[in-house]
Amino acid sequence: MDDEQPLFKWSWVESNWNSDSPNSIVNLLQAHIVMSMAPVVLGLLLALPLGLACVRWRYLYQPTAAVMNVIYALPSLPLFMLLIPQTGLTQLTVIIPLTFYALAVLVPAVVDGMGSVPDHVRQSAVAMGFTPLRRLVLVELPIAVPVVLAGLRVVTVSSISLVSVGALIGQGGLGNLFTDAFQRDFYTPAIAGIVLIVLLALVGDGIVLAAQRLLTPWVRARRAS
Amino acid sequence: MNWIIDFFTDPANWSGPDAIPARLLQHLGFSVAALALAALIGIPLGLLIGHTGRGSVVVVVSANLARALPTLGLLVLIVLLLGTASIWPVLIPLVALAVPPILVNTFEGVRGVDPDLRDAAYGMGLRGPQVLFGVLVPVALPLIMLGLRLAAVQVVATAAVAAYVGLGGLGRYIIDGLATQDYESVVGGSVLIVGFALAVQGLFTLVQRLTVSPGVSRRLRVR
Amino acid sequence: MITFDSVTKRYPDGFVAVDNLSMEAETGQIAVLVGPSGCGKTTTLRMINRMIDASEGRILLDGADVKEIDPPTLRRGIGYVIQQAGLFPHRKIVDNVATVPYLLGWDRKKARDRAMELLERVGLDPKMAQRYPFQLSGGQQQRVGVARALAADPPVLLMDEPFSAVDPIVRTSLQDELLRLQSELNKTIVFVTHDIDEAIKLGDRVAVLRVGGRLAQFADPKTLLSEPADDFVREFLGKDRGIRRLSFVSSEHLRLRTDLIVPASSPDTAAAPGAWLMAVSEDGRPVGWVGRDEPFGTYVHGKDSMRAALDAALLSPSGQAVAVDPEGRAVGIATRQALDEALGEAADG
Repeated sequence: MDDEQPLFKWSWVESNWNSDSPNSIVNLLQAHIVMSMAPVVLGLLLALPLGLACVRWRYLYQPTAAVMNVIYALPSLPLFMLLIPQTGLTQLTVIIPLTFYALAVLVPAVVDGMGSVPDHVRQSAVAMGFTPLRRLVLVELPIAVPVVLAGLRVVTVSSISLVSVGALIGQGGLGNLFTDAFQRDFYTPAIAGIVLIVLLALVGDGIVLAAQRLLTPWVRARRAS
Repeated sequence: MNWIIDFFTDPANWSGPDAIPARLLQHLGFSVAALALAALIGIPLGLLIGHTGRGSVVVVVSANLARALPTLGLLVLIVLLLGTASIWPVLIPLVALAVPPILVNTFEGVRGVDPDLRDAAYGMGLRGPQVLFGVLVPVALPLIMLGLRLAAVQVVATAAVAAYVGLGGLGRYIIDGLATQDYESVVGGSVLIVGFALAVQGLFTLVQRLTVSPGVSRRLRVR
Repeated sequence: MITFDSVTKRYPDGFVAVDNLSMEAETGQIAVLVGPSGCGKTTTLRMINRMIDASEGRILLDGADVKEIDPPTLRRGIGYVIQQAGLFPHRKIVDNVATVPYLLGWDRKKARDRAMELLERVGLDPKMAQRYPFQLSGGQQQRVGVARALAADPPVLLMDEPFSAVDPIVRTSLQDELLRLQSELNKTIVFVTHDIDEAIKLGDRVAVLRVGGRLAQFADPKTLLSEPADDFVREFLGKDRGIRRLSFVSSEHLRLRTDLIVPASSPDTAAAPGAWLMAVSEDGRPVGWVGRDEPFGTYVHGKDSMRAALDAALLSPSGQAVAVDPEGRAVGIATRQALDEALGEAADG
């Protein structure tokens, strides 16, 4: 590359957008979505029972919260490295740590969400004869949705941006554009990668937000009044 | 497991420019510098916005942007644009990513103080700065400390990734190890970084215990 | 003395919280501002220490316009008590109370000694001094709030619904405590409440405000009850005005019969055949009606109100109240006839 390279070359984007190469932008985007969304889905599926267990058995919460706190402090790069002997240079190596980060945010969110159910609402559900399971599904979870989804928004966005570190082991989705840019001293892939990842994060955030609007129409009605 | 033992018992890792203590000090140096700069920006700004209530949009936008921006991409782009002649270019993304957690939590902490408390403070004749530093900051301290802790852990992690673009520190063991297929070095470096991050986490938890009034943390039991 | 001279508070959106208010809070007295929510009573209070600035008119503190005084300086000379006490959670109770003395640059030891003295004054155990606010009950916190307001011995005290967040029993004891303190300290107190009973109990003068921030009536409680200025005040005062007004009529003019009191050791029933006679012990305390196993009620003659005397009479099938002195010794019997006469006088004003 000569020193006079332009900040951004559209021709590069056009020629690399959709080719047969596994490193075409579309393919990287697909890989990025898989690696960032798998932890979000897995995290939510695991966090619900874990969080509910912490609500049901209060004494579980303190130690669980402490563990989640520690997990959240672990840097991603060394975690990827320590997993390589078990999982190799695969997508799984990236997905597993990100799932733990998702858990670290979502378990407290589930607990806080259940805590946001007003006691009088819970009591009146009991008084009307709801069984515990129906009360959970029909009354408590719907009320907890806004708090849980607020956590899910954080997880979605940070998961999308964190995947890119996986590029250092060749599994970074759009993050591979960064190592490509660095090795070739070429601005365009780096800028394209940053823009695409931020856009993807915005879209992911928007989808969760839309889901929240759909699931909790009363929240918006209250705000409007 | 053997890799870890080999790594820590290898005499080459205890002397010269690649020695563990030297790398550790480098990592500490970058992290402290980045965190200090981020705190110098984030805390005053958070206090100002939280106290006056003006400019809260800045806080929300920066928080979301910081989460969405990919660290590696930022590091690569900055280094490509500014070169690696000094470490300052690398510090820019480190600081940029550490400011938002400090800013957001300081802001939330100050803004979340019970309005009655503010009212009582002004009503007794405290002046603006006395209200801010004598009442709002001590009461918001748990959240301010949380912001600093999240930022510190983030800086340590990002500094490791920054080895890829040429920064020294513990991340070098991973990057150089990957390049030379020296897995012993990769694992040893990883363990060191994880340990370092946990030590930082522990340190900040301890500092929080020491600085936050027991009346705020409610750690005391009623005798 | 605090003087409101045609004071209006108008917000930028045109909303008028206080409308052309003129009144005076006398030195050494409790002036209560009472009214429904939205009547501007809290705004009125907060304009005194300039937490809110008046749009028009003047507020004078012993003749000095508060607008001329730098707000923090003004506020350090005025005690301020609010609903949730507003104690600083990060400071121990003793340091909370000493806040204003510290601000005024008192010596640390002197400020703390003063704080300890005040804690005792408001009826708190000195052990509480080293605790943090969260370790105290709501009622205790409110006492600390009062102590903190009194710390620098300000001549004026502003109290904004200070007792409305505590339960009724605690509230009653806090009210009694305030009246006791006031009898010792003689502060100029402006007290805001939405509870008319609290206003009538505590106020030397009560200002009833209507929605829109206009003064409906400003009078002493007795006048308020007997001569409400208009239908709004009448309705706000609620039912039983007549009975409640008796709280402000002294029992000292009740005519007592001493011949109906007989020693328990040798009750002489012959003196007044058919009458209810009160037997008293050797130290003069009433023990019961002679020959009748029925209850009796007492009131402290001259100290309790006519309402208490009437209440005591209604407690007994005899329809008579037993008057006692402050030590509990019977001094006479208020018969139905005597009560009837006194009520007649009270009704005449």
